[in-house]
Amino acid sequence: MIRNYLKSIGASAMALSLLWAPSAMAEPGAWSDEPVRIVVTFPPGGASDLVARLLAQYLDTEFGQKAVVDNRPGAAGTVAADYVAQQDPDGTTLILANNAPYTIAPTRFKSIPYDPVNGATHVAYIGASAPGLFVQPSAGIKSLEDYITHVKDTPMTYGSSGVGSISHILGEAVDASLGVESIHVPYKGSSPAIQDFRAGVLESFYDLAVQNSDMIEDKEAVAIAIASSVRNPELPDVPTFKEQGYDIVVENWVGLSGPAGIDPATVSKINETVLAVFANPEVQDRLTELGITHRAMDSQGYTDFVANQIEVWAPLIIATGIAE
Amino acid sequence: MDILSSFYSGLLVVLEPHNLMYCFIGVFVGTFIGVLPGIGSMAAIAMILPLTFYLEPTSALVMIAGVYYGAEYGGSIASILMNIPGTPAASITAIEGYPMAKKGRAGVALFSTATASFGGGMIGMIVMAALSPSLAKLALSFGPADYFAVILLGLIAASAVSNGGALKGITMVVAGLMLGTIGIDLTTGDLRYTMGIPELRDGVHIVIVAMGLFGVSEVIASIRTNKGGSIAQKIDYNHFYPTREEWKSLFAPIMRGGAIGSVFGALPGTGQTIAAAIAYAVEKRVNRAKNLFGTGVVPGVAVPEAANNSATQTAFIPTLTLGVPGSPPMAIVIGALMIYGITPGPRLLTEEPDLFWGLVASFLVGNVMLIILNIPLIGIWVRLLQIPYKYMYPTIIVLICIGVYSLNNNVFDIWLTLIIGAVGYWMKLYKFEPAPLLLGFVLGPLMEEQLRRAMLLSRGDPMVFLERPISATLIAITVAVLIYAFYAAIRAKKITASTSSEVQQEGPNT
Repeated sequence: MIRNYLKSIGASAMALSLLWAPSAMAEPGAWSDEPVRIVVTFPPGGASDLVARLLAQYLDTEFGQKAVVDNRPGAAGTVAADYVAQQDPDGTTLILANNAPYTIAPTRFKSIPYDPVNGATHVAYIGASAPGLFVQPSAGIKSLEDYITHVKDTPMTYGSSGVGSISHILGEAVDASLGVESIHVPYKGSSPAIQDFRAGVLESFYDLAVQNSDMIEDKEAVAIAIASSVRNPELPDVPTFKEQGYDIVVENWVGLSGPAGIDPATVSKINETVLAVFANPEVQDRLTELGITHRAMDSQGYTDFVANQIEVWAPLIIATGIAE
Repeated sequence: MDILSSFYSGLLVVLEPHNLMYCFIGVFVGTFIGVLPGIGSMAAIAMILPLTFYLEPTSALVMIAGVYYGAEYGGSIASILMNIPGTPAASITAIEGYPMAKKGRAGVALFSTATASFGGGMIGMIVMAALSPSLAKLALSFGPADYFAVILLGLIAASAVSNGGALKGITMVVAGLMLGTIGIDLTTGDLRYTMGIPELRDGVHIVIVAMGLFGVSEVIASIRTNKGGSIAQKIDYNHFYPTREEWKSLFAPIMRGGAIGSVFGALPGTGQTIAAAIAYAVEKRVNRAKNLFGTGVVPGVAVPEAANNSATQTAFIPTLTLGVPGSPPMAIVIGALMIYGITPGPRLLTEEPDLFWGLVASFLVGNVMLIILNIPLIGIWVRLLQIPYKYMYPTIIVLICIGVYSLNNNVFDIWLTLIIGAVGYWMKLYKFEPAPLLLGFVLGPLMEEQLRRAMLLSRGDPMVFLERPISATLIAITVAVLIYAFYAAIRAKKITASTSSEVQQEGPNT
């Protein structure tokens, strides 16, 4: 990976000018002679970074489009989103977009230095993973119904991966929808929460469901429900909130976006190429392992999706109490 | 037997060629930076951190650990030859080491410290291998209240044993705590002390604080003080080996130093410097040659080195089995592991056995490498000390800037490091120690996090700290330590003022 990185730096240094011609027909393929930078809002490691690296790898090997991953973590993803918004809209700087800077930040922060919808070109949606609710096996809770009966009497503590994280937002959504008040215990990421859950001090937690399939198999945790619109093929036995009559869909989406004003021909070229990468069965297998369900969307569909998500999430974010 | 077979499988991991290479790079870079006056393991680890981002976790951890204990070896070289401690812990080594060098016995002192470092390192390694599995098993049931009690004990123990300048020490711990609260409050999501600067939302990274306080400020100070290159004695291989009597006098101090170091290393909060100071103070009371201490004796130079090296290894015990940093550099190690999606904690041993046992075995391999680097190749390091600082320090500033920038690819972080460095230099001028600041910075937020979490889980009932057996036991020990510290302070006042602060008084002027 380092060698690729160095190679692409070398390539960019040697590229004297930007030589590309927009093709009328969008066919998968390289869209720039320069290496494309995929900015990631998280430090190296973690699912988002892995998706970006997977994409970069297949763009190069399948379509000859050099790509490098550029990690710019900080301030809930807004540092990266702001940085990308200020780059030239030539398709060489893209961001692995997600909830944090585009869905949550607009409601959470008083002001953000970029416009999440019109200040960006949303090029290609990639997919989403959904969190679920897990309880201690010793509590004797087997279903959402059991859970409701239990928490109506005695509020439960639940762990999340942080204030304002997707697992916290889901917790608030469930509370609001069931009309209960649980005790939120925030952690720094999901693994310390799971550690406390396993130590028996935490009664329940919310976390991306597929990542905890081992605990479900080992009967260390009972998965009550998942917050996706349909069941996850990796966890066929875990029901959705939706199918049990509670319209709670809170998904962690990822997509590829760029600065505002990327030429439409380039946008469709990138969109087609990215879709072709994610149509590859090997890539799909990797996504499934990460618990991400892929869906194809064109640029317009993805832009509408982002705008819609901001609205859907706004009341949930306000309910978490993190909005400034 | 289980531990032995685990150790053996760890050894196989380290002996893979690429891991051997990273181990060597680690100990080499560690010694290199440790040799440079004032710039210790903290800055060394922070500088090598960006290199580890693209390695496998095991290789990365082996390399970081190598830097960490390598710096402790290297730290003694400058303190013996020039009376300028390469690391804070090595200032204790200078008490006996520099007089030995002046008497023309620098070679013997260096040989003894290398041997003692090796011995101490091995003691630390054995303690780590023997204790970690059972501690991890115990920690499986640890809750936030228990973690809070562990950190409380560590902080109290650290302040109880570090003597002198209590007011300045507390000021620094509080300053560290305040720095640590910058950013988003974990429990409520509120912003604290960010002053509207978006880059401060995530708080100040430990590498920035460490690089500023232990790197930049040292470089600024060197402009005025260190000109480099005045070495007490040329190393001469004919006068390298200790006499038969000295060989014999080495063994017991190494064992005692190693044992004391293991205890203080494993306690979060107390680290190598405190371990070395206490081991030296104890040795001065129990050693047969105690009357000669201060004039340059082999046991006196061996004991702090054994202690600080065993403390370096055992600092990994709470770091890896509890996720509580055993010393400030260990906070960087935890951060590095998190990048790989590995959460240090009681499950690390069973979930990542190759990582854990590979690291333990790397202590053996790395310490052997260091013996080779430090005894036959000592000449290289001596020559390194003679490089004029006007070439050395600008290079270090550049490395620091690169290291800091690579954390978040953000220029703001570089400015922040330089500002903290300037403040650190000011602190140096007024004799405020940076180590307690870093301690407060690392452990304070962690303690707050666990305290508030424990209170949330108990639904606001503070009795949880006394109801859980582990937490109650630890709090009882903490109270005992506090009572002992008060008792010792009163007794010390009664005897003479000098006994309580002998380590400070006899320390070299840096």
